[in-house]
Amino acid sequence: MSASMSDSVSVTPERAPVAQPPSAQPPGRRRRARQVNVHKRREARTAYVFLAPWFIGLFVITVGPILASLYLSFTDYSLLEEAKWVGLDNYDTMFTGDDRFLASLKVTTIYVVVSVPLQLAFALALALALDRGLRGLSFYRSIYYLPSLLGGSVAIAILWRKIFGTDGLVNSVLGLFGVEGTGWVSDPDTALGTLIILHVWTFGAPMVIFLAGLRQIPQNYYEAAAVDGASKLRQFWSITLPLLTPIIFFNLVLEVIKSFQSFTQSFIVSGGFGGPVDSTLFYTLYLYLKGFKSYEMGYAAAMAWVLLLIIAGLTGVNFIASKYWVFYGDTK
Amino acid sequence: MATRSKAAPLLFRPLPRGGRLLKHLLLIGFGLIMLYPLFWMVSSSLKPEELIFREPGLWPREVTLDNYSDGWTALKHTFGYYLWNSAVITGLCVVANLVACSLAAYAFARLDFPLKKLWFALMLGSIMLPHHVTVVPQYIVFAELDWINTIWPLIVPKFLATDAFFIFLMVQFIRTLPRELDEAAAIDGAGYWRIFLQVIIPLCTPALATTGIFTFIWTWNDFFSQNLYLTNSDNLTVAVALRQFLDSSGESSWGPMFAMSIVSLGPIFGFFLAGQKYLIRGMATTGLK
Amino acid sequence: MNPSSRKKMWTAAVVSAVLMTGAGACGGDGGGEAAGGDKVRITFAYWGSDARQKLTDQVIQKFEEKNPTIDVEGDFSNWDSYYEKIATKVAANDAPDVMSIEIRGLSEYAGRGALADLSGKVPAADLDQQVLTSGQIEGKQYAIPTGVNAFSMIANPSVLEKAKQKLPDDTAWTWDQWIGLAKDISGAGGVTGAEYNPNPAWLQIFAAQRGEKMYDGTKMGVSAETLKAWWSIHQRLIETKGSPDAAKSAEIGATGPEQSLLGTNAGAMGMWWSNQLNALSKSSGQELTLLRMPKAEGASTSGMFLQPAMFYTASAKTEHPAEAAKLIDFLVNDPDAAGILLSDRGLPTNAKVLAAVKDKLPPVDQKTLIFVDQVKSELSPVVAPPKGALQMEDILKRNTEELLFGKATPDQAAEKFLSEANAAIAG
Repeated sequence: MSASMSDSVSVTPERAPVAQPPSAQPPGRRRRARQVNVHKRREARTAYVFLAPWFIGLFVITVGPILASLYLSFTDYSLLEEAKWVGLDNYDTMFTGDDRFLASLKVTTIYVVVSVPLQLAFALALALALDRGLRGLSFYRSIYYLPSLLGGSVAIAILWRKIFGTDGLVNSVLGLFGVEGTGWVSDPDTALGTLIILHVWTFGAPMVIFLAGLRQIPQNYYEAAAVDGASKLRQFWSITLPLLTPIIFFNLVLEVIKSFQSFTQSFIVSGGFGGPVDSTLFYTLYLYLKGFKSYEMGYAAAMAWVLLLIIAGLTGVNFIASKYWVFYGDTK
Repeated sequence: MATRSKAAPLLFRPLPRGGRLLKHLLLIGFGLIMLYPLFWMVSSSLKPEELIFREPGLWPREVTLDNYSDGWTALKHTFGYYLWNSAVITGLCVVANLVACSLAAYAFARLDFPLKKLWFALMLGSIMLPHHVTVVPQYIVFAELDWINTIWPLIVPKFLATDAFFIFLMVQFIRTLPRELDEAAAIDGAGYWRIFLQVIIPLCTPALATTGIFTFIWTWNDFFSQNLYLTNSDNLTVAVALRQFLDSSGESSWGPMFAMSIVSLGPIFGFFLAGQKYLIRGMATTGLK
Repeated sequence: MNPSSRKKMWTAAVVSAVLMTGAGACGGDGGGEAAGGDKVRITFAYWGSDARQKLTDQVIQKFEEKNPTIDVEGDFSNWDSYYEKIATKVAANDAPDVMSIEIRGLSEYAGRGALADLSGKVPAADLDQQVLTSGQIEGKQYAIPTGVNAFSMIANPSVLEKAKQKLPDDTAWTWDQWIGLAKDISGAGGVTGAEYNPNPAWLQIFAAQRGEKMYDGTKMGVSAETLKAWWSIHQRLIETKGSPDAAKSAEIGATGPEQSLLGTNAGAMGMWWSNQLNALSKSSGQELTLLRMPKAEGASTSGMFLQPAMFYTASAKTEHPAEAAKLIDFLVNDPDAAGILLSDRGLPTNAKVLAAVKDKLPPVDQKTLIFVDQVKSELSPVVAPPKGALQMEDILKRNTEELLFGKATPDQAAEKFLSEANAAIAG
């Protein structure tokens, strides 16, 4: 173990992820090869046992509805009547005859691009600040998690108006400086901004995940680095950050997926319509309005599959890019 | 802390006195801003209901607990009944996710098997589709099983590890652990199950705690499926009950809603406090000797 | 089932679920049919608040007392998620036997074959016949109105008094006078004269005063000129500070009566459904007055109408149509039911029932009743709007906001509204 310890201090992201080339089988040693095969089969069998609940869930609960939604995306389906096959019509309409679809795509993209990095940076900074070195940190951690508990609350629409409304906190503070604010939540130019702030404000989940990740970093790495006289900043760059990359990666992938599907906050804060003037019309909110308010579930299903392709594409890019910056402890 | 300062790594040596005070002040000040909405909600829950919007200031001029007593008894059952319902569902979901997701995560993170990449991609793919379009087919599945108005549609999927989020979370955590640990155990004669139970699980305490905390909070707040599958007024949960105070088409009981929202924050906050104790350094990370 | 045995059921569920290893093998029905026996079980879906839920549970109990062979299960949802739940259940062939539906959703559900024709199944002779026709689509009585509301002007006399203004004579006032009054009240300082909202009901009234129908079959009946004239009322209110600016108005518009200007004593006048007078009075703590809507110059009709607060309907696929009809009959025709529900689902339109419960109504409802009686002779008939009407509020609000926030000219907004609205109701 001591070898890996001294080794890891100098671990850098550039070096670590390089996979070992598969060692070539020495020729003529069939028996050993067979043993390896037996071992491999046993490993695979065990894996499928471990995965058994997940497989049952996948095939009984998850896959059916997903395939059904794929089928429905090629139909005209009002929910109340039988679905009618229309081929690619839904997809065609989406890109050629639906301005609101494009608007919702734009709103969502801005939201994801701005709020995800902001939220993650915020969460990481606080996780680092709240990790250790001060009395009462567990108290602060709890306090800083509270906003996330409120984030999904029924009351959040009102609470947000109390901050960003015409008579809200922000305007009171601005008033002290003689600046007259607007109704930030209900002005089409600023409404999306307040939802981005709302997203950043509920940074609790990624913060907790970062905290948990920080706890996985062996302390003796730091001790060894301190012996070597590495500065704090150096330690952060060469130990904390590289060893945290799997967690940063996790948060990034998941936040991208979740933010593209953001629904509740816009639904609650805008009163269900993504207003004013479609400025907070998130993709999933528009999809919901199509499916459950306009009774065009076929169209909604098509939108869902387009979203799936977008998210899957981005996640794929994320995974490919991760080869260059994510360091796993299990690669030797 | 002070006594250990010599051995502590540079980064985590206690700050000088002034610096510490400054950090405390910063954290408190920032915390106050972050929590403004919560303060407003607490204050509103203590105002007489008709004054909540008429006198929107933070400091209540008149303090009353009426909203709490009214809210507690406003619905068909006392609010404690709904808290219990939510606690049952949430507790089961936590257990389910911890067991099912850690099993699947271990396989994905450590074992090699055919089609692994495909299954992994499918797992991630399953959380990329907005649930609004799968809800109708899903409902049909559960209706066929005659599970409507029972808790099965809410918990059985968790036992079947359908929360891919947590599988992925645990995969990432397991992958931060050095493989030497497994290999050392294997040399000692441990099989996969023993490695999983005695090496991986104890070392993943932070990830398990995270999973537990999030499952608890998200299930507790999950209005959508609880509203859909538990329709009988005896089966309602907190998330659904809270929304009964509001009727945007008619009259709303804002005071009781605020009061009961505060009450329902209690269990999740309590669970968070309890859970975060387990966000600890496992033995692997405090120093392998 | 009483609470304690329910609790036992839940505890049992804990135990059994822990034992269940997750193979999904358990097909337990968790009490779904437990109350059965030889009783007929029907479900009754409705939306609302805690207060309505309590009343509805009482009324269901009463019904079960009178009909011991029928077991009614209430299926409650809050308003925001009501339709998505109902639509999901209809789609999954699991529709509630009796469903509450409001007028905008009626064509959607009846037109797509989800509702049963109730003609001759639910006695309706004592109901207000004009209101009853609003539940008809192509001659079939798909829906029975629960009670009525009127969209009207609500004013706070004491606020008017403080601003040294008098309550107007609502039988003869015009929109211009209303705007002028709002301006004067705001000018006196302290409160805002009026709050407007882009409610389609207001547009419908305004259009009727100009001799236009809101909907003409499956096309919009309202003209671009009328729309522009209607929007100019909004614009002039903002310009003269008779109402708050666009951002604040949008903000208020997204909330309910309790947070409105009128409800917080920050405003003098607003337009609301008459059943919201309760919530407004309660939150403002003041005596409020219902007024007729102002008229367009030279209008021959007030344009106002009585709208069913909601309808009771039965699923087209219910296995128990007779029991479903019986429940609806009880809810609208039985004084015992009305004695519990009172005006919860609008003022009863059954004259006999109304006479029986009149004295039990709270003072605010008495006031509404008097108002409705006064304006009754001036009312326009109401018909169920075409399919897609559920989207009208969204479309109108969005285009109104585009105009008021300066993102579109009146001509552009009118054109866009009409094309979007026509597209929505054409399907």
